[in-house]
Amino acid sequence: MNLVVIVVVRLLEGMFVIGGIGSVAVLILSGIEDFRTLFGREDENHS
Amino acid sequence: MSSVPSSPSNRVRIVVATSVMLTFISYWRAAAIVLNDLASSAFYACGIAEQAVGKSAPWFIVGVMLFSFAVRAVYVESCSMFVRGGVYRVVKEALGGTLAKLSVSALMFDYILTGPISGVSAGQYIAGLINDILATADVHGWIPRAVHNLFNGTPHVSVNETSVVFALAVTVYYWWENIKGIHESSEKALRVMQITTVMVVILLGWSAITLMKGGYQSVPLPTPENLHFSKESLGFLRHSFPEDGLAKMFGLLGILIAFGHSVLAMSGEESLAQVNREIAHPKLKNLKRAAIVIAIYSFVFTGLSALLAVMLIPDAVRVPVYKDNLIAGLAMYMWGPHLLRLIFRGFVVVVGFLILSGAVNTAIIGSNGVLNRVSEDGVLADWFRFPHRKYGTSHRIINMVVILQIFTILASRGDVYVLGEAYAFGVIWSFTFNSLAMLVLRFRYKGERGWKVPPNITIAGYEIPLGLASVFLVLLSIALVNLATKSVATVAGISFSVVFFLIFSVSERVNLKKHALAKAQMKDHFQLLQRDTVERESLSIRAGNILVPVRDYNTLTHLRWALERFETRDQDVVVMSARVSRFGAAAYDLSPEQIFSDYEQTLFTRAVSVAESFGKKVSLLVVPAGDVWAAIVQTANNLDSSAVVTGESSKMTPQEQAFSLGRAWEGLPEPKRQFVLQVVHADSQVDTFRIGPHSPSMKDEDVLLLHRLWLNITREQGLDKLHHHEILREALTRFARDFGARDREDILKELRRATLESPREAGPDAPVVRRESADGPRTGGDD
Repeated sequence: MNLVVIVVVRLLEGMFVIGGIGSVAVLILSGIEDFRTLFGREDENHS
Repeated sequence: MSSVPSSPSNRVRIVVATSVMLTFISYWRAAAIVLNDLASSAFYACGIAEQAVGKSAPWFIVGVMLFSFAVRAVYVESCSMFVRGGVYRVVKEALGGTLAKLSVSALMFDYILTGPISGVSAGQYIAGLINDILATADVHGWIPRAVHNLFNGTPHVSVNETSVVFALAVTVYYWWENIKGIHESSEKALRVMQITTVMVVILLGWSAITLMKGGYQSVPLPTPENLHFSKESLGFLRHSFPEDGLAKMFGLLGILIAFGHSVLAMSGEESLAQVNREIAHPKLKNLKRAAIVIAIYSFVFTGLSALLAVMLIPDAVRVPVYKDNLIAGLAMYMWGPHLLRLIFRGFVVVVGFLILSGAVNTAIIGSNGVLNRVSEDGVLADWFRFPHRKYGTSHRIINMVVILQIFTILASRGDVYVLGEAYAFGVIWSFTFNSLAMLVLRFRYKGERGWKVPPNITIAGYEIPLGLASVFLVLLSIALVNLATKSVATVAGISFSVVFFLIFSVSERVNLKKHALAKAQMKDHFQLLQRDTVERESLSIRAGNILVPVRDYNTLTHLRWALERFETRDQDVVVMSARVSRFGAAAYDLSPEQIFSDYEQTLFTRAVSVAESFGKKVSLLVVPAGDVWAAIVQTANNLDSSAVVTGESSKMTPQEQAFSLGRAWEGLPEPKRQFVLQVVHADSQVDTFRIGPHSPSMKDEDVLLLHRLWLNITREQGLDKLHHHEILREALTRFARDFGARDREDILKELRRATLESPREAGPDAPVVRRESADGPRTGGDD
């Protein structure tokens, strides 16, 4: 039982950490785009 | 209509416009609408988080607000996709029917809980202020002895009971407003946010002065050893791991649990998708601007006020006294005289009342919108969507939503913490389902997409959506941890979702059989022609046609009147139904079958029967619209209609109808043409108004005055050939000159007095509306 709990908890922690690092990347990259949007230097086509 | 299948040429052609006729709003207004929901959580989020995780809660609120920038990016991507079919259909396409129904159930739980938590929280602020005023009055000896004795001390009101009564009153008030179909304008949302901004600026500025003058206490860093979970905040884990042993044992899990208890600070983010379609051109750029404004504003307000509350309010009173009205507590611990602080607290309560009671309304509108869409998607029985006989609103859905909200308010007994915990369930799961759907749609949806959440890397020709997957992972991990740590929310949320899931599943089965039959009947009698926009040439309708908007198939007197009066060989009669989808239902476009539903089928069957009884032919048109008045004027303008013939409204006088239409006409872009509005009463009496710039109607005494002036002036030498209109022009030129110069205030004063002395019959005249005689526009010469 304890092993199952440990595995589940570690899995959740792993998801949170990996997701958190990726979200920081989202934050930085979209922040740069936001800066361009605010100051009108944004390209019209993205993807 | 007969049940014999008709040949395609005999079928009645119905043009279904698929682009919604909206009145567009600036990104500032869009941001204001979203912030009315999102910023309202600043009033209760930190108090709930601190009760759950301890004094370091503000750091988690700040973390959640930073993370909300990433969640916002997911919503921007979902808004930039061009899809039709409502939330259910879109999620179904990505995740399948079962998860789609669960997703909508979670979204409904979120929307329904928004009302009770906002109403109760506003009640907490008001009750707290009443008690503080009574305490201050008691200290000064202003409370009579008898009243003092009655309460065995300082008079006070029960905070939780008062909150329940207040929340019930606000909910019932907005229930009635929604039944009547009166919707809130973006103008009002903007005003509320302007007032809120004044409060935020004072709050932050005064807090800065207080920090310099009076010092502050530090906020413990968000490390596992600084987390102090209450028994309630560990939920199901408290039985296996008492005294937060598990959280401390794993360390990072504690952070995850704390994050889960703070997540409701970003509730309301989903409203961005609801206002998206109303944002003005350039849509994507303005959507992004609105999203930036929302994210920065909510980060500053919610994040900083949470930090300041812990820094400035002493520990001894922060949770015991101000846990449910933390910003009011912050006002009371500013540097300065007590009276000034009390006045500012009053201002905080007024702002809290405005924004939180507005959120109660948003919750009803949003729930109604989502359930309407779900019904259009065939997952909720059409019975729910049947319009109110008098007001035409989906009253059964509104009643159901409000009954659930009233039940929630009573069950909570005014406990904001319990409501907050339950609310977080809906918030996190609706975010999680949305991000999962977006992740799956990256691989399945190949249509138009204006923007993608960065970063994305391409390996062997396959694009890997790293950013989107990261946001989903964080949301999923929080949602799963919350299942274990929020026992009340888990039980309530799952029970609610299961009940809604069953309702949706049963409704879907019933609808499948019913809709198959209805679809076959519709194919026999109607031919749906899909058009992106309403254009006269493409619809083969002649200029100068008569537009007849219809809504209720029991009241088609005005259609009969129009068919009696106008010869369809000379003038086309266009019967139009506006399918209104307001805020809360506007996340995605509808498919033609959804726009032309059972109700429109019955409505047009009746309309065709009426036309057939006159031996005349009518053109049929369905347009989706954000606002019915805007839809009518846009359609009339696009079709070059010479007249709009409408029936009596149950909630507006003909003058008010003309006023609303006139206002919508003013909002139309150029080029625009004038037309006549004829409001036909049940007894076939008609009120006629001219919509567009026109000569004003004049009273007899005004005409007499003008005539007397004309008589006097024409006696003067060289002026015997003067016209009445030349006197008017001279008078108006002088008036404009005086009004633009020093006499402005005097003129306004005189006009106000004149308005009071001769009250209008019903409402003011719109500048572009003229009421005329029952037989049509009055004609006649001037001189």
